[in-house]
Amino acid sequence: MTVLRVAHYINQFFAGLGGEESANRPPERRDGPVGPGRALAGLFKDEGRLVSTLVCGDNFFAERTEAAREAVQAWLQDVSPDLVVAGPAFAAGRYGVACAEVCRIAAEAGRAAVTGLHRENPGLLIYRKAYAVPTADSAVGMAQALGAMVGLGRKLATGAALGPAEVEGYLPRGVRRPGLRERPGAERAVEMLAAKLHGRPFRTELPVDAYEVVPPASAVPDLRAARIGVVTTGAIVPAGNPDHLKRCSETRWARYEIREVETLTGERFECVHGGFYNAMASQNPNLVLPLDVLRDLQREGAIGGLVDFYCTTTGNDQRLVDCKRNGREIAAALRAAGVNGALLVAT
Amino acid sequence: MAVITALPPLAMQAGANRVVQGVKIEHVCGDPALPPEADRALRRRIVEQALMALGTDVQQPTLVGAV
Repeated sequence: MTVLRVAHYINQFFAGLGGEESANRPPERRDGPVGPGRALAGLFKDEGRLVSTLVCGDNFFAERTEAAREAVQAWLQDVSPDLVVAGPAFAAGRYGVACAEVCRIAAEAGRAAVTGLHRENPGLLIYRKAYAVPTADSAVGMAQALGAMVGLGRKLATGAALGPAEVEGYLPRGVRRPGLRERPGAERAVEMLAAKLHGRPFRTELPVDAYEVVPPASAVPDLRAARIGVVTTGAIVPAGNPDHLKRCSETRWARYEIREVETLTGERFECVHGGFYNAMASQNPNLVLPLDVLRDLQREGAIGGLVDFYCTTTGNDQRLVDCKRNGREIAAALRAAGVNGALLVAT
Repeated sequence: MAVITALPPLAMQAGANRVVQGVKIEHVCGDPALPPEADRALRRRIVEQALMALGTDVQQPTLVGAV
């Protein structure tokens, strides 16, 4: 029996190198397993050996993607693995995107790759063809995720026949293969329709993507007369965080007065976002919510004015269903305040 | 609405129609490493670009303006 050579990609956090303060670390290689790689190595037993780990900071991968891609390419070339395992990244956005990219680079190099992502992880938007097992939204699901990744990875690496996503337990990749069903499409469609009309469960054969197309709003005709609303997912709140906005997994949004406020100082406001290193934004919140220059532009007449409050939430591990509801509610609040156009700063 | 973000490809894939390039995830609108005046000027350019995006008709997710 051949022993599979396994290479593992993880971020700075799971490597134990620190949280957001270390998120700009460039890629670095380690021999053998690191962090969750130890459990991963154990699961392969004597069928696989985890030979190398690549660790990269989440911000580095997100912002210097070309440099990160080159590092991954060189690593795969040097290590020459039979299987690349990335993550699991659970619901972590930047990490998930990095894991999806690693899977893409591996595929381009003709190597089997598997990752583990929560089904709402934006990594699935970046590279939908990744073989990703569905995971919980946080590392409490580590053991289960690793087990599923090893099972799928072993099949991918050995070239074993792989069934459709729903059978093998990976997330749908948007690939449809021709095949024969027992009954014709018309019968199946009518059965589905009847089930739907009766409120019975049914399984669609053509799932619709979760991210929907949003029709663009028409252009603001005259900015000099427009009232602008300001929104951020960067969790900028009054000092002391009076509404206890959460650092992550927030379900709500909040609005705060900025009438007659000229600039956001670190004395009066702070950043409570837990998904990035927020000390700079807390010191000068204008870096996230650019009120100082908006007031300049208002004084100069470039814009008509600002809505008297801004809206914020924590864009960190927020469920899609909550994002949608928050978006709807924020839009309604701004419209009620007579808004003509809005700026959204996404951190 | 215009979205200012350090990661435009992500915003566009999620369906945002007017997207403007920000600086970095931790400081989307500006750069604290610059002297305060230069930081503010950079922030102003980004906000002006976002306002220009608001005033521009688009048909689909579009990165508006240069970096």
